[in-house]
Amino acid sequence: MTAFLKPVRAGSLRRGKSKGRGKLSAGQPEDAGLSGAAWKDQVLSPDLETNLQQIKTILNNCSDVIYREFVFAQNEQIRLALIYTDGLADKEQIGDQITKALALEVPMAAPGQEITKGRALDFIKQRGLCVNEFQETGKMRDVIRAILSGDSVLLVDGHACAIINGTRGWASRAITDPVAEPTVRGARESFIETLRTNIVLVRRRIKSPSLKIKTLRLGEVTGTDVAVAYIEGIANDKLVAEVMSRLERIKVDGILESGNIEELIEDNPWSPFPTVNHTEKPDRVAAMLLEGRVAILVDGTPFVLTVPNLFVEHLHAPEDYYERFLYTSAIRLVRFTSMAVSLVLPSLYIALTSFHHELLPTPLLLSIAGQREPVPFPVFIAVLIMELVFEALREAGIRLPRPIGVAVSIVGALVLGEAAVRAGLVASSTIIVVAFTGITSFTFAYSASIAFRMLRFTLMVLSAVLGLLGLISGLAVIGIHLCALRSFGVPYLSPIVPTTAVDLKDVIFRVPLWAMFTRPRLIARQEQKRQIPGLKPTPPETRPKR
Amino acid sequence: MIKKISVLLILIFLTGPLGGCWDRKELPELAIVLGTGVDRTADGRIRLTVQIARPSAFVAAGGGGGGGGDVPAGLVVWAEGETIEDAEMHLETKVPREVYWGHNMILVIGEEMAREGTRMVTNFFHRNRQPRETIWLMVAKGEAKDFLESHSALEKTSAQAASFLARMKLGYSVSSREFDEMLASKGVQPVATRVEVKRAGTTLGPGREKQPSNQKQVELTGVAVFREDKLIGWLDEHETRGLLWLKGEARRGIIAVVPSPGEPEKEVSIKIRRAKTKIVPQYDGERLLFNVVIEAEGDMLEQQSRKDLAKPGKIKALEGAMAEEIQKRAAISLKKAQRGYGVDIFGFGDAFHRKYKKEWRKLKNRWDREFARAEVNISVKTHIRTTGLLTRQPYLPEE
Amino acid sequence: MLERGKIDSKQAVFLMIALVLPTAVLTVPSVVAKLASQDAWLSVIVATLVGLLIARLVVSLSLRFPGKTLFEYAEEILGRVPGKVVGLLYIWWFLHTNAFILDEFGAFLGITILPDTPFLVFFIAGTFVAAYAVRSGLEVLVRYNQLFLPLILGLLCVIFILSAKDMKVARLLPVLDTGLVPILKGAAVPVSWLGENVTFAMIIPFLNRPKEAYRVAARAVLITGFFLLVSVLVSLAVFGPNLTRAWIFPAYNAVRVVSIANFLERLEAAVVAVWMLGGFAKIGVFYYAAVLGSAQLLGLKNYRPLVAPVGVILVALALLCENTVVLFDFLGRVFPPYALVFELGIPLVLLIVALAGGKGGKKS
Repeated sequence: MTAFLKPVRAGSLRRGKSKGRGKLSAGQPEDAGLSGAAWKDQVLSPDLETNLQQIKTILNNCSDVIYREFVFAQNEQIRLALIYTDGLADKEQIGDQITKALALEVPMAAPGQEITKGRALDFIKQRGLCVNEFQETGKMRDVIRAILSGDSVLLVDGHACAIINGTRGWASRAITDPVAEPTVRGARESFIETLRTNIVLVRRRIKSPSLKIKTLRLGEVTGTDVAVAYIEGIANDKLVAEVMSRLERIKVDGILESGNIEELIEDNPWSPFPTVNHTEKPDRVAAMLLEGRVAILVDGTPFVLTVPNLFVEHLHAPEDYYERFLYTSAIRLVRFTSMAVSLVLPSLYIALTSFHHELLPTPLLLSIAGQREPVPFPVFIAVLIMELVFEALREAGIRLPRPIGVAVSIVGALVLGEAAVRAGLVASSTIIVVAFTGITSFTFAYSASIAFRMLRFTLMVLSAVLGLLGLISGLAVIGIHLCALRSFGVPYLSPIVPTTAVDLKDVIFRVPLWAMFTRPRLIARQEQKRQIPGLKPTPPETRPKR
Repeated sequence: MIKKISVLLILIFLTGPLGGCWDRKELPELAIVLGTGVDRTADGRIRLTVQIARPSAFVAAGGGGGGGGDVPAGLVVWAEGETIEDAEMHLETKVPREVYWGHNMILVIGEEMAREGTRMVTNFFHRNRQPRETIWLMVAKGEAKDFLESHSALEKTSAQAASFLARMKLGYSVSSREFDEMLASKGVQPVATRVEVKRAGTTLGPGREKQPSNQKQVELTGVAVFREDKLIGWLDEHETRGLLWLKGEARRGIIAVVPSPGEPEKEVSIKIRRAKTKIVPQYDGERLLFNVVIEAEGDMLEQQSRKDLAKPGKIKALEGAMAEEIQKRAAISLKKAQRGYGVDIFGFGDAFHRKYKKEWRKLKNRWDREFARAEVNISVKTHIRTTGLLTRQPYLPEE
Repeated sequence: MLERGKIDSKQAVFLMIALVLPTAVLTVPSVVAKLASQDAWLSVIVATLVGLLIARLVVSLSLRFPGKTLFEYAEEILGRVPGKVVGLLYIWWFLHTNAFILDEFGAFLGITILPDTPFLVFFIAGTFVAAYAVRSGLEVLVRYNQLFLPLILGLLCVIFILSAKDMKVARLLPVLDTGLVPILKGAAVPVSWLGENVTFAMIIPFLNRPKEAYRVAARAVLITGFFLLVSVLVSLAVFGPNLTRAWIFPAYNAVRVVSIANFLERLEAAVVAVWMLGGFAKIGVFYYAAVLGSAQLLGLKNYRPLVAPVGVILVALALLCENTVVLFDFLGRVFPPYALVFELGIPLVLLIVALAGGKGGKKS
């Protein structure tokens, strides 16, 4: 078989390879293969022309890059060049603070101090430029990166160095309501696609020098900026180091969304359960940081990753800490129950109605039996079909433009469900089970509900084959898997198992805020204490004196 | 890892079509039995009668493919065989579905069968996992088949009607587990609910006015008395009350009708709210004496007399009358058991066993004889709590 | 070291409860009531006291050799060859007992909810789940148990409370009807079950605070004994001694009887479901003991390769049991003396030899 296929395959393979190699060896500027291109190690030369030539070669066919050459106002012998990317850099700022300043309005040099080529650079830096921030570099790599990041690069003739001016300014989306995590109570800001803005949103909530933000650039081609935020003294140092090391080993062509990073740093890539959490709410990130977690912000996406991630987090909502604790505890109970229902209900229905009929109360059994009478399918097939219909409806609802989405749900709910029951193709109890399951799967975090949806189908198959035995075996295996799972060294099911009694304060029942004395023990290992004791509101006369 | 997971998935998905689904039975494949009857035929075989539910009758009208309406809710099928299982097998040849016992609510044993012995009936129902130990055990006066073929106007099937009647525990209701427990103990002889088929009342509806119903319906009419597992006689409804008092099973809702103080021809009804029975045996090696202390508490709910009975003295008198009435009832049942049937259906033997461990070992094998000649003192303490919403007959001046 | 996991004292208590309770809670009432009638509950109390002694023996033996399992210190005490023989015997015993646990698991499911399914399926399901836990390591097994055992105990309590309606204290009377001898006889079976705690000797080295082992063992035996006691009392109070000894799983039947408000009934589904979760844990612990022991005996560096073959042997052994009659006859008559050799006899001999030879026991 191989012999037959070989010639064709080998040919195509070789062609592909040689193309790649050719690119690499030629060191063409547009090439940014994983091994790095030759220009990355180049340094600038003192000659402006050479530099410009080199940059133009590297940025060959990049029509959005603008080269502006002009002369210094005080000494026309001194030639300058400004390079920036159209649309990424703020043109107004460049015009006002760089071009106009240097070409027209440069202050006079002190008498007797003529501005020569040699002194030009210092003079420009100290008196000429009006920009807020600039940086000096001699490396071609930095120059190119700056141009493509929206900064403008000023080259001065006779100097083997470039001034990078912070002129980033591009059109970006405004900060809006969180779309994926709508809240009734709590901040309505959500992250946007610009990393800088996102960091601002976090910084605005934690005004402490302990909030540290480390940046790195991932993706050999995309060069995506990634920031790792944590609070020093609260977050475990080992955890921070582990996060950094997992990020630093990433060598891929591109990082387009934080999901790409998530898949590359999670603990057990085979698990259906997410072991890295994500959120688009800055207040949630701030809360996570305060508990000792580490946040990973990625440029180009409003979704911020937080680690380590515990299972129970997916059943908690940001509002849980803003609403009063009794309501929170009650609503969490609903969420936990919903989680169990969304995982088990269809399989339980299958097991009970096609294996263990004696376990249903008589009136219920007779009622279900009556509905099932005209249905031509076994329960399992009926539930499977309806679940698939439901999943398809849900997917259609997400993919379609919103106005059409409504139509889809009408067709799904009314036409399919109602007609199927009328036609006697599906028992109404089946529809109820599937619908209830569907609703419950919306009550908790989307990423976890995906896991449950997948496992639900497996459990359905198991219970269709072995009844309760299959269902329970499946649940046991899921349980064992969850027990074995870790997220950045922290057991996924903690604090439930291994049980840390103090941390059970925030699992289903949330204690009042004035009783939240400590941070989660397995996450924030460094500083446990959260608040002073005795914060419980009491009448003034009974208040303990401090 | 991929290999492992795919192998696992393939295994999971293969188990279905391959050997799997051993126990899977879809609901439409089942004939759900609601009531069972067992009779002895003239030629000594066992006749098994089952009342099977028709599920489509149990759906709310409109849903599930045109159920509801006037579909009869059940059907009755019977078959004969050497044993119950044998009969069930013959039954399967008549019913196109698998006979399913998991929701059987009553087990009715025909009179003839009961006289023959119940053990050969109940064993099947305990060994088999489907029938539950909570099913009501009943003995039909006459044939069990007739009983199952009766109709209920209020409930969907007569089996349900009978089981709901038993559940109300106005008479003496026995679940198959309780029956077996009594059977297994030497200190008590079993009893079971007696059931009969009687003519039903009128069914109402347009065009049915004044039309007498020709339907038959079920009724609980006392208890059947056994020696070991063999039926030896009956107690009627009145005697059953005495049995309830002596067994300490008198529950809420039982009425004591007593003569009004000073006016013996007028009656007062007292509804029992709470009752307790204590049996204290005394034995000196020769004489066997039982002191039965019954405590009852109730509310006066009806009076025929015109007098104001809501007076402390009158109530005291009423309590006395009530005690007498209860005592009388208990004595009647006791006499019937001791003299008439010579079996201890009250559990005096168990009470004796609890107190006289050693003596019991000697007496237990001839307990019924000992019981028959035992002396029993019944003392009753009664208490009336309230007189309902009224104090007296409202519309007449006090005489 | 073969196992790097560490478990804390609470987890160890849970593990030891799971080591005995799941199967015992179902069958003990019937087996004991056969011998001791309505005094069965007294037998259980006696058995719990004996169980405490056995647990104490095992712990004090293990603590003389800190960080070592039964297999390792048996060699140290008796010398290489006799130690290996003892190890082999224990491997056999773990496997054989586990096979019977599997048989009970299968018998229970087969009798109660899945009559048409071949027992092999139950064996494979039970072994598969347990194997997955064992493969994932002691920590995972322990955590799994910690996750589900509270559920099992909680549900047992709830159901026992619900059946209060059907209970009559009179059924427990008279006390001491037939004297002490039947009570002591009746205690033999629960003793042999509680004695399964000898498996704890495989776990003690992995305690993060070995000093608490005494307290762990005592607490576990007492809790187990308490639940056995409750299960016996409930069965007796609901059915009386005559029916209790007739049922195979009286506690299960007691649940079937529960009916609250005519709707909260037929609760055995919950019991069977939760019981299965406990069954997996129990199978898992014995499985783990057998696998770890074999690895130590063979001097392997990793026990995981042994998981699959041991599982196959386990299923095969379980298949050898002919029917439930043989099974329950074995458990009632043969198992107690047979098990006590391993639970009491060998550990006692080991302890005496160790004391005589002055081996171990250096307070470290």
